[in-house]
Amino acid sequence: MPDRVASDWRERLRRRWLGRLTASLWAPLPQSRLFLLPTRFGLGWAGLVVLLVLFGINYQNNMAHALAFWLFALGVVVLLRTWRNLLGVRVALRLPQEVFAGNEARLGVSLEGKRSRTALVLHAGGASAQADLPEGRGETTLALPAPRRGVQSLPPLRIESRWPLGLVRVVAWLEPGGRLLVYPRPLDADEPLHRRAGAGLDASDFAGLRRAEPGDSPARLAWKQWSRTGVLAAKVFSVPPRQQLWLDYDACQGEAERRLSVLCARVLAHHQAGDRFGLRLPGLTLAQGEGARQRRLALEALAHFDPATASPEEGA
Amino acid sequence: MRRRPPAGLGPAPAVLADGRALSAAMLRQLFVGQCLVLALHLPWMPAWLAGLAVAVAGYRHLQLRRRLPRASLLLRLTAVGGLLAALWLEFGTLYGVDGLIGLLLGVYLLKLLETHDRRDARVVVMIGVVATSGAFLHDQGLLMAGAALLALGWLVQSLVWLSGASGARQAWRETAWLLGLSAPLMALLFVTFPRVGPLWNLPQVNRASTGLTDEIAPGDIAELSRSDARAFRARFEGREPSPHERYWRVYTLSHFDGVRWSRTAPRELSSVLGRPLDHFAREGQHTPWTDDAPRFTTELLLEPDSRPWRPSLGTPLASDSRQRFLADGTLEGLSPLGSRSLLRLASSGAAPSNPDPAGPAWQAMLPAEGNPRTRELAERLRRESGGDARAFLAAAMARFGEAPFRYTLSPPRLSSADRVDEFLFGSRAGYCTHYASAMAVLARAVGIPARIVVGFLGGEWHPDGHVTVRDYDAHAWVEVWLDGAWRRLDPTGVIAPERIEEGPQAIRDGREAFLADAPFSALRLRELGWANQLRLEWERLEYRWQRGVIGYQRASRAALMERVSERLRALWAWLIEVSPGRGILAAVATLLVTLGGLAGGAWLLWLGWRHHRRGRDERALLLVLQAWLARRGLGPAPGESPAAHLRRIAPRAGAAGPALEESARHIERLAYAPVGSAERRERQRRLARRVAEARRRLGRRKSSAP
Repeated sequence: MPDRVASDWRERLRRRWLGRLTASLWAPLPQSRLFLLPTRFGLGWAGLVVLLVLFGINYQNNMAHALAFWLFALGVVVLLRTWRNLLGVRVALRLPQEVFAGNEARLGVSLEGKRSRTALVLHAGGASAQADLPEGRGETTLALPAPRRGVQSLPPLRIESRWPLGLVRVVAWLEPGGRLLVYPRPLDADEPLHRRAGAGLDASDFAGLRRAEPGDSPARLAWKQWSRTGVLAAKVFSVPPRQQLWLDYDACQGEAERRLSVLCARVLAHHQAGDRFGLRLPGLTLAQGEGARQRRLALEALAHFDPATASPEEGA
Repeated sequence: MRRRPPAGLGPAPAVLADGRALSAAMLRQLFVGQCLVLALHLPWMPAWLAGLAVAVAGYRHLQLRRRLPRASLLLRLTAVGGLLAALWLEFGTLYGVDGLIGLLLGVYLLKLLETHDRRDARVVVMIGVVATSGAFLHDQGLLMAGAALLALGWLVQSLVWLSGASGARQAWRETAWLLGLSAPLMALLFVTFPRVGPLWNLPQVNRASTGLTDEIAPGDIAELSRSDARAFRARFEGREPSPHERYWRVYTLSHFDGVRWSRTAPRELSSVLGRPLDHFAREGQHTPWTDDAPRFTTELLLEPDSRPWRPSLGTPLASDSRQRFLADGTLEGLSPLGSRSLLRLASSGAAPSNPDPAGPAWQAMLPAEGNPRTRELAERLRRESGGDARAFLAAAMARFGEAPFRYTLSPPRLSSADRVDEFLFGSRAGYCTHYASAMAVLARAVGIPARIVVGFLGGEWHPDGHVTVRDYDAHAWVEVWLDGAWRRLDPTGVIAPERIEEGPQAIRDGREAFLADAPFSALRLRELGWANQLRLEWERLEYRWQRGVIGYQRASRAALMERVSERLRALWAWLIEVSPGRGILAAVATLLVTLGGLAGGAWLLWLGWRHHRRGRDERALLLVLQAWLARRGLGPAPGESPAAHLRRIAPRAGAAGPALEESARHIERLAYAPVGSAERRERQRRLARRVAEARRRLGRRKSSAP
């Protein structure tokens, strides 16, 4: 029990601390959110300065004094220049379009600063990436691991720089605040899928004319009608009826995650085949539809699905 | 090794794509750094260290190229063992400065064998910095300082590469910024940091000493140093000595064994004569032996020497630090000089007036036998002069002025047991020590106390007033005890007066012998006017560097701090005087107003500069204009291009309309049309003017509105 209290307390402190530390995205990094920490090499450098001063004193050697002071002055200047390298950098994130569990979420990071910056390193959730901003602008990608399905909050982002000498690092923590929706890992089911990809899906039966719009293919324009009437029209062909089907949670076998994975794979396959499909999950029914929107809605429903709502029904 | 393009020509980052292993380009960087640091040491250290550097680099090269295995622990240990053995063979001990420096350099070079990642590389650079500072034990001259600056620059540049520079241009620019920005702070620290004495003892550097020896044996060839090595430099405060006063006394030689004159140190004297040591030498800042009036104050810049000798113009009287004053009117330092150092000295410019505590018998002692003809001559001269010491000495000196005595730097060798006889009645050719020795023996033969003084005569006068004394300025002369004081007698002045007035290079027959030990000396270029000028300029610069920077120790720091605080006090007093009110508050207010004014001026300058920059960059100009419009409620719609935005608001802008329209046209031309650089500049200028006009007119409209 005291263990839990301690960990609770630690967690609260951590969160509070992070809240104090973190800067927000999109805005230039302010002075108050930059932290300068010495590196091990920097500590070694400080020791070297002391050593050289002692050397200079004991040998009454002015050049050794000068060298020691120069190293010290370099340290001071490096402090400023490292800090200046990160000050005012603006970080923006681009969330990936879609992420499936087990893959990595490739998070686009675009960095902007008024001056050129060098060797900025980003860390988040075990991934790291490096970026240079030669003209004050730079791009990089963070490959975050996405092991589990569902809604994930983005891990705090740490941006740091050791430029130019590696004596100190300047660190800023950023709270991305965004959420990442991870779709289930697609899993091809054991039972054969009745795909009818390609067959009879070409729009070939002439169905009539409509007013032409910019962007219509010239092959589809009704040139003959145009020469006769002077009105540009486009030919419309009817699409043969697609396969219409329902993807049903209850029809799948195995535990919840496996069922969702199978459904996910089928959504992808049917979308690719151009089928009309609907999705039935316990407590949620997605009407039949087609196209990218249907695919997205279905995948989102699968990602958001909470098996806990399903189990009482199963038990009933 | 096959030549490859240097690291800077292509993007060659310090580490490979795996983010850990060092690239070949980075290893080359480290190797070049090693070569630069090693070059600082090589004039003083054994040359096989260069071979070691090449061997290690070659191993790494082969390892990278042909996939040799990494250097195993056994190989590395063997290498370190070999290094220790070689150093021990070279120096005989490892606990000397040279041995330790060699060890440091060897470890620095061998470390490249096990340098694989960023951390290792940084360690290598750090050892390089330590090795650079070690080079200052050899020398702290201007050349060394320049070379060390180069090495430091390279090492810093390596660190910049290791931190992720993407090109040589960037790395060097950053290095220049770092060194340039830190230099003022370094200089400030250098000037203000308190100088303290050594905290504990460390092995000191033993340097080959300059040309003076503490015993002379006239007749042995090549004992007169003819090298151009610098013995010391001096500057005079107040009166400068004329040429015949430039006798720098260093040692006195009072023991003659028939062949050679040798020095008897105070310790030997006290044990031979059975008297306490402080009868012969005492430490202090003032001489306890004589109360002669000081005539010259010199500031000596001494070269490092393992012996404690200190030259003085005549008898040393007082100095700015504790020294050992010897009863024979010479001076010793308390410790050998590990590096060049400054010494201020007041001296009399003449031989000492105090009797030697060893007594006249000691100073007139000759071996019981030997040199019979010289004794005979002395006896005859004494008889002729009627027992008057003065007349005797004058007669003896006069003899040297007669033919066939001649002054030469390369006299025939004397080998018999009665060397003075051989010289006076045989060869009759020699240089200062021959004449001084013969003169002292003549004086002693009739019971006049006499001793030989070894030191320097003359020196090279530089236009800025300092004088350089070199090994070939070494000289020997005689002092005799006469009428209650020591008198200087220089027989060389009788035989070769030009040696006294003009220096050793004036000796005609010495042309070929002069500088015989220094075949490549810059001094051989004396005849060439401009080359000599250049040499003198360089020496002046070197002297100022040594005196001002290397000699910047406790006393000079205290003096400088005193001057600075005096200036500050004067400034403060002036401030109180010029401030309108009276008192400290008014002065502080004046100071603040002045500083504020300066800061305001700087701020205005910065604003102007920014304005200028904006005029050259239409995007920045537009951003500012759009932000300004947005504050007046005329901001751009989402997704609207700048030109479209200006066109949209132009009809509503009244008098500013045409200016906005024209601005939009310029923007579009600048953004999309392929315009030449001349037209681009012209359009940018016009755009800036139109934008300013639009802002003016819009602002007026707003302010004139009710």
